[in-house]
Amino acid sequence: MSSNSSSKELQSSMEDIIKKKQYENFDSWVTNFASNLPNIWNENSAKKLNLKIQNFEKEKNSAIVIGRGPSINKFEHLKLLAESNYQGNIVCSDGILSNALKAGVTPDKFPKFFVVTIDPYPFVKKHYEDEIIKSYGSKIKGIFTVITNPEVVEKARDAEIQIHWLHSLFDYNEGKKSFNNLSALMIRAKNIEHKLPAIQTGGNAGTAAWFISWQILKCSTVALIGINHGHEEDDPLETIIYHNNKEELSEGVDRDSITFQKLYKKVYNPDFNCICILDPLYQFYSEALKEFISRSPDWLTTINATEGGSIFGDRIKSMKFKNFLEKYEI
Amino acid sequence: MKTNFKKEENIISKINEKEITDSEGEDLTQKEFEEYIAKSGAKGSFMVYRSNNKDDELGLDEI
Repeated sequence: MSSNSSSKELQSSMEDIIKKKQYENFDSWVTNFASNLPNIWNENSAKKLNLKIQNFEKEKNSAIVIGRGPSINKFEHLKLLAESNYQGNIVCSDGILSNALKAGVTPDKFPKFFVVTIDPYPFVKKHYEDEIIKSYGSKIKGIFTVITNPEVVEKARDAEIQIHWLHSLFDYNEGKKSFNNLSALMIRAKNIEHKLPAIQTGGNAGTAAWFISWQILKCSTVALIGINHGHEEDDPLETIIYHNNKEELSEGVDRDSITFQKLYKKVYNPDFNCICILDPLYQFYSEALKEFISRSPDWLTTINATEGGSIFGDRIKSMKFKNFLEKYEI
Repeated sequence: MKTNFKKEENIISKINEKEITDSEGEDLTQKEFEEYIAKSGAKGSFMVYRSNNKDDELGLDEI
Protein backbone atom coordinates (compact mmCIF):
# COMPACT_ATOMS: atom_id res chain seq x y z
CA MET A 1 0.00 0.00 0.00
CA SER A 2 1.36 3.45 -0.89
CA SER A 3 2.04 5.94 1.89
CA ASN A 4 -0.48 8.29 0.24
CA SER A 5 -3.35 5.81 0.39
CA SER A 6 -2.28 4.79 3.89
CA SER A 7 -2.40 8.45 4.94
CA LYS A 8 -5.89 8.83 3.45
CA GLU A 9 -7.08 5.73 5.30
CA LEU A 10 -5.68 7.07 8.55
CA GLN A 11 -7.41 10.44 7.98
CA SER A 12 -10.68 8.62 7.26
CA SER A 13 -10.28 6.61 10.47
CA MET A 14 -9.53 9.80 12.42
CA GLU A 15 -12.68 11.40 11.03
CA ASP A 16 -14.77 8.36 12.05
CA ILE A 17 -13.33 8.43 15.57
CA ILE A 18 -13.94 12.19 15.98
CA LYS A 19 -17.47 11.79 14.60
CA LYS A 20 -18.24 9.03 17.11
CA LYS A 21 -16.84 11.16 19.93
CA GLN A 22 -18.74 14.25 18.81
CA TYR A 23 -22.02 12.35 18.59
CA GLU A 24 -21.85 11.83 22.35
CA ASN A 25 -22.98 15.48 22.45
CA PHE A 26 -25.80 15.09 19.92
CA ASP A 27 -28.56 15.63 22.50
CA SER A 28 -27.08 18.98 23.52
CA TRP A 29 -26.89 20.08 19.85
CA VAL A 30 -30.62 19.39 19.49
CA THR A 31 -31.33 21.25 22.73
CA ASN A 32 -29.18 24.17 21.60
CA PHE A 33 -31.02 24.32 18.28
CA ALA A 34 -34.46 24.19 19.93
CA SER A 35 -33.50 27.08 22.23
CA ASN A 36 -32.11 29.11 19.32
CA LEU A 37 -35.01 28.49 16.95
CA PRO A 38 -37.22 31.49 17.90
CA ASN A 39 -34.24 33.79 17.39
CA ILE A 40 -33.24 32.07 14.14
CA TRP A 41 -36.76 32.73 12.82
CA ASN A 42 -36.31 36.45 13.47
CA GLU A 43 -32.63 37.01 12.77
CA ASN A 44 -30.62 37.03 9.55
CA SER A 45 -29.41 34.19 7.42
CA ALA A 46 -25.65 34.36 6.76
CA LYS A 47 -26.68 34.21 3.11
CA LYS A 48 -27.58 37.89 3.38
CA LEU A 49 -23.95 38.80 3.95
CA ASN A 50 -22.98 38.32 0.33
CA LEU A 51 -25.94 40.39 -0.84
CA LYS A 52 -24.63 43.26 1.25
CA ILE A 53 -21.32 43.36 -0.54
CA GLN A 54 -21.53 46.57 -2.53
CA ASN A 55 -20.21 46.76 -6.08
CA PHE A 56 -19.39 43.11 -5.84
CA GLU A 57 -16.42 42.09 -7.93
CA LYS A 58 -15.30 38.63 -6.97
CA GLU A 59 -11.88 39.01 -8.53
CA LYS A 60 -11.14 42.05 -6.37
CA ASN A 61 -12.67 40.74 -3.16
CA SER A 62 -10.22 39.42 -0.57
CA ALA A 63 -10.34 38.28 3.05
CA ILE A 64 -7.90 37.73 5.86
CA VAL A 65 -8.81 34.79 8.10
CA ILE A 66 -7.42 35.21 11.61
CA GLY A 67 -6.79 32.21 13.86
CA ARG A 68 -5.14 32.03 17.25
CA GLY A 69 -2.12 29.90 16.36
CA PRO A 70 1.26 30.79 17.89
CA SER A 71 2.54 32.66 14.81
CA ILE A 72 0.03 35.44 15.37
CA ASN A 73 2.03 36.70 18.37
CA LYS A 74 5.45 35.51 17.23
CA PHE A 75 5.33 37.72 14.12
CA GLU A 76 3.07 40.46 15.56
CA HIS A 77 0.64 39.95 12.71
CA LEU A 78 -2.21 41.77 14.45
CA LYS A 79 -0.02 44.84 14.88
CA LEU A 80 1.04 44.68 11.22
CA LEU A 81 -2.58 44.42 10.14
CA ALA A 82 -3.71 47.24 12.43
CA GLU A 83 -1.08 49.52 10.91
CA SER A 84 -1.97 48.60 7.33
CA ASN A 85 -4.42 50.15 4.86
CA TYR A 86 -6.00 46.80 4.02
CA GLN A 87 -9.44 47.31 2.48
CA GLY A 88 -10.79 43.76 2.39
CA ASN A 89 -12.75 41.51 4.73
CA ILE A 90 -11.56 40.47 8.18
CA VAL A 91 -12.86 37.06 9.27
CA CYS A 92 -11.91 36.27 12.87
CA SER A 93 -12.26 32.92 14.54
CA ASP A 94 -14.02 33.54 17.86
CA GLY A 95 -10.99 32.62 19.98
CA ILE A 96 -8.91 35.57 18.69
CA LEU A 97 -11.65 38.24 18.61
CA SER A 98 -10.82 40.11 21.81
CA ASN A 99 -7.06 40.04 21.13
CA ALA A 100 -7.62 41.37 17.61
CA LEU A 101 -9.73 44.27 18.88
CA LYS A 102 -7.17 45.09 21.58
CA ALA A 103 -4.44 45.13 18.93
CA GLY A 104 -6.33 47.72 16.89
CA VAL A 105 -7.85 45.35 14.36
CA THR A 106 -11.33 46.80 14.80
CA PRO A 107 -14.43 47.33 12.65
CA ASP A 108 -13.79 51.08 12.85
CA LYS A 109 -10.64 50.55 10.82
CA PHE A 110 -11.88 47.51 8.89
CA PRO A 111 -15.64 47.91 8.31
CA LYS A 112 -16.05 44.48 6.71
CA PHE A 113 -15.47 42.68 9.99
CA PHE A 114 -16.82 39.20 10.83
CA VAL A 115 -16.49 36.72 13.69
CA VAL A 116 -17.19 32.99 13.38
CA THR A 117 -18.40 30.49 16.00
CA ILE A 118 -18.68 26.80 15.13
CA ASP A 119 -18.16 24.89 18.38
CA PRO A 120 -21.50 24.02 20.02
CA TYR A 121 -20.13 24.01 23.60
CA PRO A 122 -20.85 26.38 26.53
CA PHE A 123 -17.16 27.18 27.12
CA VAL A 124 -17.16 29.24 23.91
CA LYS A 125 -18.98 31.95 25.90
CA LYS A 126 -15.62 33.06 27.28
CA HIS A 127 -14.67 34.28 23.79
CA TYR A 128 -17.43 36.92 24.00
CA GLU A 129 -16.98 38.03 27.61
CA ASP A 130 -14.21 40.58 27.25
CA GLU A 131 -15.44 44.14 27.84
CA ILE A 132 -13.76 45.43 24.67
CA ILE A 133 -16.24 43.45 22.56
CA LYS A 134 -19.07 45.67 23.79
CA SER A 135 -17.24 48.72 22.43
CA TYR A 136 -17.30 47.37 18.87
CA GLY A 137 -20.07 44.75 18.91
CA SER A 138 -22.65 46.74 16.94
CA LYS A 139 -20.23 47.00 14.02
CA ILE A 140 -19.31 43.30 13.99
CA LYS A 141 -21.19 40.73 11.95
CA GLY A 142 -21.33 37.44 13.87
CA ILE A 143 -21.74 34.14 12.07
CA PHE A 144 -23.07 31.31 14.23
CA THR A 145 -24.03 27.72 13.60
CA VAL A 146 -27.65 26.92 14.54
CA ILE A 147 -26.38 24.46 17.17
CA THR A 148 -24.30 27.08 19.02
CA ASN A 149 -24.95 27.00 22.75
CA PRO A 150 -27.65 29.67 23.30
CA GLU A 151 -25.72 31.27 26.17
CA VAL A 152 -22.88 31.95 23.75
CA VAL A 153 -25.15 33.68 21.23
CA GLU A 154 -26.85 35.61 24.01
CA LYS A 155 -23.49 36.92 25.16
CA ALA A 156 -22.76 38.07 21.60
CA ARG A 157 -26.25 39.56 21.33
CA ASP A 158 -25.68 41.45 24.59
CA ALA A 159 -22.60 43.01 22.98
CA GLU A 160 -24.86 44.03 20.04
CA ILE A 161 -23.02 41.80 17.57
CA GLN A 162 -25.21 41.40 14.48
CA ILE A 163 -26.25 37.75 14.51
CA HIS A 164 -26.26 35.73 11.26
CA TRP A 165 -27.04 32.01 11.15
CA LEU A 166 -25.84 29.05 9.15
CA HIS A 167 -25.90 25.27 9.31
CA SER A 168 -22.75 23.30 10.09
CA LEU A 169 -22.96 20.22 7.88
CA PHE A 170 -22.61 16.89 9.63
CA ASP A 171 -25.36 14.48 8.54
CA TYR A 172 -27.10 16.02 5.51
CA ASN A 173 -25.95 13.01 3.46
CA GLU A 174 -28.34 10.85 5.54
CA GLY A 175 -31.34 12.32 3.72
CA LYS A 176 -34.75 13.61 4.76
CA LYS A 177 -34.48 12.43 8.36
CA SER A 178 -31.06 13.96 8.91
CA PHE A 179 -30.78 16.61 11.60
CA ASN A 180 -29.36 19.08 9.05
CA ASN A 181 -32.48 18.62 6.89
CA LEU A 182 -35.01 18.54 9.74
CA SER A 183 -33.56 21.68 11.34
CA ALA A 184 -33.68 23.45 7.93
CA LEU A 185 -37.36 22.48 7.59
CA MET A 186 -38.14 23.86 11.06
CA ILE A 187 -36.34 27.12 10.27
CA ARG A 188 -38.39 27.50 7.08
CA ALA A 189 -41.66 26.63 8.85
CA LYS A 190 -42.64 30.28 9.32
CA ASN A 191 -41.06 31.63 6.17
CA ILE A 192 -40.30 29.27 3.31
CA GLU A 193 -37.67 31.71 1.99
CA HIS A 194 -35.68 31.76 5.24
CA LYS A 195 -32.90 29.50 4.03
CA LEU A 196 -29.42 29.33 5.52
CA PRO A 197 -26.07 28.44 3.97
CA ALA A 198 -24.72 25.05 5.05
CA ILE A 199 -20.97 24.90 5.41
CA GLN A 200 -18.22 22.37 5.86
CA THR A 201 -16.47 23.29 9.12
CA GLY A 202 -13.40 21.12 8.71
CA GLY A 203 -13.67 20.55 12.46
CA ASN A 204 -12.67 23.99 13.74
CA ALA A 205 -13.47 27.72 13.54
CA GLY A 206 -10.34 28.59 11.52
CA THR A 207 -11.15 26.20 8.71
CA ALA A 208 -14.82 27.22 8.86
CA ALA A 209 -13.74 30.88 8.51
CA TRP A 210 -11.79 29.96 5.35
CA PHE A 211 -14.93 28.30 3.91
CA ILE A 212 -17.11 31.29 4.84
CA SER A 213 -14.66 33.70 3.18
CA TRP A 214 -15.12 32.20 -0.27
CA GLN A 215 -18.41 30.30 -0.04
CA ILE A 216 -20.45 33.11 1.54
CA LEU A 217 -18.40 36.30 1.20
CA LYS A 218 -17.32 35.25 -2.30
CA CYS A 219 -13.71 36.34 -1.87
CA SER A 220 -11.40 35.14 -4.63
CA THR A 221 -8.30 35.66 -2.47
CA VAL A 222 -8.22 34.34 1.08
CA ALA A 223 -5.16 34.86 3.26
CA LEU A 224 -4.55 32.94 6.48
CA ILE A 225 -2.80 34.27 9.58
CA GLY A 226 -2.64 32.45 12.91
CA ILE A 227 -3.78 29.28 11.17
CA ASN A 228 -0.81 27.17 12.22
CA HIS A 229 -2.78 23.96 12.83
CA GLY A 230 0.27 22.99 14.85
CA HIS A 231 2.50 24.05 17.72
CA GLU A 232 5.84 25.84 17.62
CA GLU A 233 8.90 23.82 18.61
CA ASP A 234 9.52 26.09 21.57
CA ASP A 235 5.95 26.13 22.85
CA PRO A 236 5.71 25.02 26.48
CA LEU A 237 5.06 21.32 26.92
CA GLU A 238 1.80 21.94 28.75
CA THR A 239 0.49 24.04 25.87
CA ILE A 240 1.25 21.25 23.43
CA ILE A 241 -0.19 18.43 25.52
CA TYR A 242 -3.36 20.27 26.42
CA HIS A 243 -3.95 21.71 22.92
CA ASN A 244 -4.38 25.20 24.40
CA ASN A 245 -7.30 24.01 26.51
CA LYS A 246 -5.78 22.93 29.76
CA GLU A 247 -9.01 23.03 31.65
CA GLU A 248 -10.87 20.99 29.08
CA LEU A 249 -8.38 18.36 28.00
CA SER A 250 -7.40 15.55 30.29
CA GLU A 251 -4.27 14.53 32.09
CA GLY A 252 -4.37 11.20 30.28
CA VAL A 253 -1.41 11.65 27.97
CA ASP A 254 1.57 9.62 29.14
CA ARG A 255 4.57 11.65 28.08
CA ASP A 256 6.93 8.76 28.84
CA SER A 257 5.13 6.32 26.60
CA ILE A 258 6.76 4.96 23.46
CA THR A 259 3.93 6.42 21.38
CA PHE A 260 4.53 9.97 22.64
CA GLN A 261 6.70 11.00 19.69
CA LYS A 262 4.12 9.58 17.31
CA LEU A 263 1.31 11.46 19.03
CA TYR A 264 3.25 14.72 18.78
CA LYS A 265 4.70 14.53 15.30
CA LYS A 266 7.26 16.96 13.91
CA VAL A 267 6.66 18.28 10.41
CA TYR A 268 8.98 20.39 8.30
CA ASN A 269 7.31 23.26 6.47
CA PRO A 270 9.46 23.89 3.37
CA ASP A 271 7.63 27.11 2.46
CA PHE A 272 8.64 28.84 5.68
CA ASN A 273 11.69 26.69 6.46
CA CYS A 274 10.52 25.77 9.92
CA ILE A 275 9.41 22.81 11.98
CA CYS A 276 6.08 22.53 13.74
CA ILE A 277 4.62 19.95 16.08
CA LEU A 278 1.25 18.42 15.38
CA ASP A 279 -0.73 16.81 18.16
CA PRO A 280 -3.30 14.27 16.92
CA LEU A 281 -6.06 16.88 16.70
CA TYR A 282 -3.88 19.20 14.65
CA GLN A 283 -2.97 16.26 12.38
CA PHE A 284 -6.71 15.79 11.84
CA TYR A 285 -7.39 19.52 11.25
CA SER A 286 -4.35 20.01 9.05
CA GLU A 287 -5.04 17.11 6.70
CA ALA A 288 -8.67 18.20 6.30
CA LEU A 289 -7.88 21.86 5.52
CA LYS A 290 -5.13 20.94 3.05
CA GLU A 291 -7.48 18.52 1.30
CA PHE A 292 -10.26 21.10 0.99
CA ILE A 293 -7.88 23.79 -0.28
CA SER A 294 -6.66 21.37 -2.95
CA ARG A 295 -10.29 20.74 -3.97
CA SER A 296 -11.41 24.39 -3.89
CA PRO A 297 -12.63 26.14 -7.09
CA ASP A 298 -10.06 27.35 -9.59
CA TRP A 299 -11.11 30.98 -9.12
CA LEU A 300 -9.97 30.87 -5.48
CA THR A 301 -6.42 31.65 -4.37
CA THR A 302 -5.48 30.65 -0.83
CA ILE A 303 -2.46 32.44 0.59
CA ASN A 304 -0.89 31.15 3.77
CA ALA A 305 0.68 34.18 5.45
CA THR A 306 0.90 32.50 8.86
CA GLU A 307 4.69 32.16 8.48
CA GLY A 308 4.70 28.81 10.24
CA GLY A 309 2.58 25.78 10.94
CA SER A 310 1.53 22.79 8.92
CA ILE A 311 -0.52 24.28 6.06
CA PHE A 312 1.47 24.00 2.84
CA GLY A 313 1.20 22.04 -0.40
CA ASP A 314 -1.18 21.80 -3.34
CA ARG A 315 -2.94 25.10 -4.25
CA ILE A 316 -1.44 26.90 -1.22
CA LYS A 317 0.64 29.96 -1.96
CA SER A 318 2.84 30.94 0.96
CA MET A 319 4.18 34.43 1.59
CA LYS A 320 5.12 36.69 4.48
CA PHE A 321 2.16 38.64 5.82
CA LYS A 322 4.00 41.91 5.27
CA ASN A 323 4.31 41.03 1.57
CA PHE A 324 0.64 40.07 1.37
CA LEU A 325 -0.37 43.43 2.81
CA GLU A 326 1.88 45.32 0.42
CA LYS A 327 0.33 43.48 -2.50
CA TYR A 328 -3.33 43.58 -1.43
CA GLU A 329 -3.85 46.61 0.79
CA ILE A 330 -5.10 48.86 -2.00
CA MET B 1 10.18 29.33 29.19
CA LYS B 2 9.84 25.61 29.65
CA THR B 3 10.51 23.80 26.41
CA ASN B 4 10.24 20.20 25.49
CA PHE B 5 11.37 19.51 21.97
CA LYS B 6 14.98 20.26 21.16
CA LYS B 7 15.17 23.02 18.59
CA GLU B 8 16.88 22.16 15.37
CA GLU B 9 17.78 25.64 14.16
CA ASN B 10 21.14 24.65 12.76
CA ILE B 11 19.85 21.88 10.58
CA ILE B 12 16.56 23.25 9.34
CA SER B 13 18.03 24.51 6.11
CA LYS B 14 19.57 21.13 5.40
CA ILE B 15 16.62 18.90 5.90
CA ASN B 16 13.56 18.18 3.88
CA GLU B 17 10.13 16.84 4.66
CA LYS B 18 11.07 13.24 3.93
CA GLU B 19 13.98 13.30 6.32
CA ILE B 20 11.78 14.68 9.05
CA THR B 21 9.20 11.98 8.45
CA ASP B 22 11.88 9.32 8.48
CA SER B 23 13.61 10.67 11.55
CA GLU B 24 10.41 11.04 13.50
CA GLY B 25 9.27 7.48 12.97
CA GLU B 26 6.01 5.99 11.85
CA ASP B 27 2.65 7.69 11.49
CA LEU B 28 0.09 7.58 14.23
CA THR B 29 -2.09 4.49 14.11
CA GLN B 30 -5.88 4.45 14.30
CA LYS B 31 -5.70 2.82 17.73
CA GLU B 32 -3.30 5.44 19.08
CA PHE B 33 -5.49 8.26 17.76
CA GLU B 34 -8.60 6.68 19.26
CA GLU B 35 -6.92 6.33 22.64
CA TYR B 36 -5.77 9.96 22.52
CA ILE B 37 -9.26 11.21 21.67
CA ALA B 38 -10.81 9.03 24.38
CA LYS B 39 -8.40 10.49 26.95
CA SER B 40 -8.39 14.08 25.75
CA GLY B 41 -12.10 14.45 25.08
CA ALA B 42 -11.47 16.41 21.86
CA LYS B 43 -13.56 19.31 23.11
CA GLY B 44 -13.28 22.40 20.99
CA SER B 45 -13.54 20.30 17.86
CA PHE B 46 -16.24 19.45 15.41
CA MET B 47 -16.46 16.80 12.74
CA VAL B 48 -15.60 16.80 9.05
CA TYR B 49 -18.63 16.32 6.80
CA ARG B 50 -18.45 13.57 4.20
CA SER B 51 -20.96 12.74 1.49
CA ASN B 52 -21.29 10.50 -1.55
CA ASN B 53 -21.78 13.75 -3.44
CA LYS B 54 -18.25 15.11 -3.14
CA ASP B 55 -19.29 18.64 -4.20
CA ASP B 56 -21.58 18.83 -1.16
CA GLU B 57 -18.53 18.40 1.07
CA LEU B 58 -17.47 21.93 0.09
CA GLY B 59 -20.77 23.37 1.34
CA LEU B 60 -24.26 24.20 0.11
CA ASP B 61 -25.48 27.66 -0.88
CA GLU B 62 -28.60 27.29 1.22
CA ILE B 63 -30.95 24.65 2.59
